[in-house]
Amino acid sequence: MAAPGSEAEAAMAGPEELVCAGGRNRKAVLCQRCSSRVLLPGAAVFARKELFLPAMKKKTALAGGCDPEGDILQDHWLVDDMFSFENVGFTKDVGNIKFLICADCEVGPIGWHCLDDKKSFYVALDRVSHE
Amino acid sequence: MEPGAGLQQPPPRRGLGLGPGLGGGGGGLGSAGGSPSLSGPQSRRRKQPPRPADFKLQVIIIGSRGVGKTSLMERFTDDTFCEACKSTVGVDFKIKTVELRGKKIRLQIWDTAGQERFNSITSAYYRSAKGIILVYDITKKETFDDLPKWMKMIDKYASEDAELLLVGNKLDCEVDREISRQQGEKFTQQITGMRFCEASAKDNFNVDEIFLKLVDDILKKMPLDVIRNELSNSILSLQPEPEIPPELPPPRPHVRCC
Repeated sequence: MAAPGSEAEAAMAGPEELVCAGGRNRKAVLCQRCSSRVLLPGAAVFARKELFLPAMKKKTALAGGCDPEGDILQDHWLVDDMFSFENVGFTKDVGNIKFLICADCEVGPIGWHCLDDKKSFYVALDRVSHE
Repeated sequence: MEPGAGLQQPPPRRGLGLGPGLGGGGGGLGSAGGSPSLSGPQSRRRKQPPRPADFKLQVIIIGSRGVGKTSLMERFTDDTFCEACKSTVGVDFKIKTVELRGKKIRLQIWDTAGQERFNSITSAYYRSAKGIILVYDITKKETFDDLPKWMKMIDKYASEDAELLLVGNKLDCEVDREISRQQGEKFTQQITGMRFCEASAKDNFNVDEIFLKLVDDILKKMPLDVIRNELSNSILSLQPEPEIPPELPPPRPHVRCC
C-alpha cells in the first residue's frame, strides 16, 4: 500500500503496532507535514492521558480567549527530558502549558508540556507520523 | 529556574585560535553524503534506545528590532503560522539536533525578539549561552550602528568563552543594502574570535550554516574531556518569564559617525 498517512496507519494498526514490547516507540516519530524527525525509535514511552490540544494549523486557536477548537487526545509518546527530542519547538507559555510544534515547519500543536511537571513532555500519536 | 542553570562553563577564554573557516572545506563539517543539515534524514533503525546526544548547547539570537532574528529561528513562515498569533503565542525556543564531526549535538535555540531593549534581555540568557548570534539588517544602517551596544551587553553578561557570530541578514534585499559586506567584516575583525556571515532567512540562505558554524567553533575550542563532562553536567531548563517586561519601542541610538 502506498505511503499510508499516519492517521490511516494508526487506525489500521492501532497503537500496539507502534509500541514495542518495552512500551517504547518502535518507529521514528516524524512531522506529518514536513517529515522533520521529532523522536528516534525507542526514545519515548507510550502513555495514555487525556490532553486537550488545539486544532492543528489554526494557531489563533492557541491564543486563548474564547474556547479554542481542538481535540482531546489519549495516546501519546512521553519523554522525561526535552533533550530526548531530535527536533522540536516549544511555544511561549499559554497559562502553565507550552505546546510542542514541529521545529522545522512549525505545524502544531503536536504535543503538550505542563510547566508544573518538568519531567513530562507528551507528543500525541494522532498529530505525528511514524516511520 | 534560569536557562542553563547548572550548566558548567569550561575554562577556555575567548580569543583562542579559531582554526580555518568552515567555508574553506576544512573537513570537520561533513556528515556523510555532503551537505550537512540540521534535521537531516539520519535515519537509523535500531531496537535499542537511541544514542543520546553527546553534547547540549544553548544558543541565543540577539539584535535590534526587525532584523529578522525570529525568521532565523522560524525558518518557514507560511500559512501554518498566521501573523496574528505570532505576536500572541509564538515560538519560545527550539531543540535542534546537529551531527558534526561524529558528534551528535542538541542545540537549544532561543530567540530574544520582543525583548530588544538593550537592558531588558535578562542576563540569564547571556550567561548560559555557549553561542551568541548577533544579527543586523544589511538594509538598515541603524541596526548596524546598534552593534557596539549589543557588544557591551555581551561583554557584561556573556561567558567569555561564548562563541560569537555576526550575521548580516536580509541578503535577499540586496537592492536596499545600506551596509556593505566589508563593513560587516571590518566590525568583526575588531572583536577577537568573532565570525561573520551574511544570510537571508527569507530565502533560507546560509541559515543552517549559521548554526553549524557556531557549533563547529564551539567544538573546536572544547577539549574532549570537557565535552564528556558537559554531557553529564548539562541541565538546561525552561526559561522563566523575563524579569523585566519588554517595552517598546527600543531607544534609537544617536551615535552617528561624523
